[in-house]
Amino acid sequence: MKITVNEVEKEIQPSSIEQFLKDIDSPIKGSALAINGVIISRVQWPNYQLQENDSLSLFQVIAGG
Amino acid sequence: MLKDSELIRYSRHLLLDDLGAHGQAKLKKAKVLIIGMGGLGSPASLYLAAAGVGSLTICDFDSLELSNLQRQIAYQSDEIGSAKVTLMQQRLKKLNPEISVRCIANKMEEPQFNLELLLADLVLDCTDNMPTRQLINRVCFNGKVPLIVGAAIRFEGHLSFFDHKDPDAACYHCYAPSSVDPQLNCSNSGVLGAVVGVMGSLQALEAIKIIVGIESTVKNKLKLFDGKTLQWQSFTINKDPNCQVCGKK
Ligand SMILES: [Zn+2]
Repeated sequence: MKITVNEVEKEIQPSSIEQFLKDIDSPIKGSALAINGVIISRVQWPNYQLQENDSLSLFQVIAGG
Repeated sequence: MLKDSELIRYSRHLLLDDLGAHGQAKLKKAKVLIIGMGGLGSPASLYLAAAGVGSLTICDFDSLELSNLQRQIAYQSDEIGSAKVTLMQQRLKKLNPEISVRCIANKMEEPQFNLELLLADLVLDCTDNMPTRQLINRVCFNGKVPLIVGAAIRFEGHLSFFDHKDPDAACYHCYAPSSVDPQLNCSNSGVLGAVVGVMGSLQALEAIKIIVGIESTVKNKLKLFDGKTLQWQSFTINKDPNCQVCGKK
């Protein structure tokens, strides 16, 4: 199925957020993720199933100031 | 309510339909706690003092270093080595003698935080590390004090508002659930001064809006600023029912 990650289209197998991030070698720690404009809390990542045409925004949590 | 000197000082506020004398009186009555007197805290404190926020409490335990001056625009080169809160208090009192500025020069633990929150209408998180951000969020949630969070690194900025008076509001922990993740900070990743300045200025803007009663569009949102493209992204932060801070216990 097709999703977009930071505006880049990707063809993926149906999977959870956590599995998908592992598949693309993206770190879990220190990351935040929004799907279709809504932040998905990290505790949901293992069970949250990605859907066709989901638009993912993946970025790092920053603490500096 | 406002003295003659204040009518002149704030005349450009008084011309604003959304602010006016009524809003200026609210600013004068407001008590804001600003934590962190660095790159975010510098513009945030200067703008809130200039705007006439009547009671500011400023908190930082660091002394000024040479490497701070690239972005912490409230300070001068001949002030290196002095406590930032003392320097900032002097700067703000010179900028606006009509307001009161109180200093906290130590690292606050939870009991002291709880007492300080009794005296605050609003908190600005202008700190530079995740454990402190988590502590601030927790005490503000427990004390039901609204919290404006700013952060910056490299060319990126983040801005959020968590209205802890509203029991349905999300909290910082709903979005960033860990204190122990490897952290990006200004000393290991770098930051552009003007980027952190934008974010600190926006914290001041949101604070003023909240105080005078203009709706904040960053409530339960995370705004991401990209200093290279000048593009903004906006995400909704929903309350996590299982959040260790704000979820049902
Ligand atoms: Zn929460």
